[in-house]
Amino acid sequence: MNDEMAWVIRAQQGNEEAFTNLVEAYQTHVYNLCYRMLGEPELAEDAAQETFLRAFQHLHRYDSKRPFATWLLSIAAHYCIDRLRRRKFSIISIDDDEDDGGFELPDADAPNPESEMIHGEQRTRMQGMLKHLDSVDRAAIVLRYWNDCSEAEIAETLHLTVSAVKSRLHRARRELAGLWQEESPLSKPERRPHESPAF
Amino acid sequence: MNHRPFEDWLLEDQPLTPEQKRELQSHLRTCATCAAIAESNLALHSARMVSPAAGFVDRFQTRLIAQRKATRIRQIIGTLVLVIGGLGLIYWLVGPFVQEAMRSPADWITAAVGYFLFVLTSIQTLSEVSFILVRVIQTFISPLGWLVLISIFGGLGLIWTVSITRFSRLLQGV
Repeated sequence: MNDEMAWVIRAQQGNEEAFTNLVEAYQTHVYNLCYRMLGEPELAEDAAQETFLRAFQHLHRYDSKRPFATWLLSIAAHYCIDRLRRRKFSIISIDDDEDDGGFELPDADAPNPESEMIHGEQRTRMQGMLKHLDSVDRAAIVLRYWNDCSEAEIAETLHLTVSAVKSRLHRARRELAGLWQEESPLSKPERRPHESPAF
Repeated sequence: MNHRPFEDWLLEDQPLTPEQKRELQSHLRTCATCAAIAESNLALHSARMVSPAAGFVDRFQTRLIAQRKATRIRQIIGTLVLVIGGLGLIYWLVGPFVQEAMRSPADWITAAVGYFLFVLTSIQTLSEVSFILVRVIQTFISPLGWLVLISIFGGLGLIWTVSITRFSRLLQGV
């Protein structure tokens, strides 16, 4: 049995210290999901705290056959989706740790300050564009790219089928690309006169 | 190659072979739509986690304590409302009778004593009747018959006790 499972079992028996260990282990994952969903640090903090409170209150309902992270992120995602549906948020989002993007399929692993700067700028733009997505699509994108969840895990987290997740991710990527194109008119490559249009 | 497969590759965001990568690379130089998808995919792949402000766990513990306090207060208020409501209901239902009884206490004291005496005499009569019955039956049944009857009832009682014990243990999951 790993540490996480031991903490969960102890927390289910009412041990608060064990649950605190779980909060410590998952605070970044939960907070990041909330922040990407809601777009504001204060709202994200409140949503993340509420997620852990709900998890603590309903820990007896947790099925130990499922990964704890999926269960926890499911609570966070549904809470954020619910809040987004109830309120219209204006997302002001600039990551503190993120800097400032041209184009070629670069090597993502290359330790290059210039490419790091480009990636940072792209990340900032991406956060701004996330707010245009439908709340469930946004949750799927965040879980896929920030939390590295597989399509099956996203399906379990958002209570969707795997095919629904695939189509939501497909639609979200297309929408993001459209927004990306709208926001960077200068980055459009010039078509040579002899070439036919893409569509 | 036309535009379609490249767009699908990008929208599916699946790993590509080196050959596919080369083809896609050359297509991206001419197709603004695919370039935008590739760029946004790249931005997604370079996504970074944002951490909460320091002291998140402490803030959680404070919130947990505050929530528990609020729950306890809600429970106390709920219990008070229930008790007061229940007492009010009892008073509303029984009140008229109590008031009536208080107006003429001699009547209800007489009725209560009468009822008590009725119960006492009934018990006394029943015990006398059963004593006579036993004495009459005794003359019909032989000592061996009594032994058999006592054994049968004793056995049935034992079976009943064992069954109840086992059944209750089963229900408790022991």
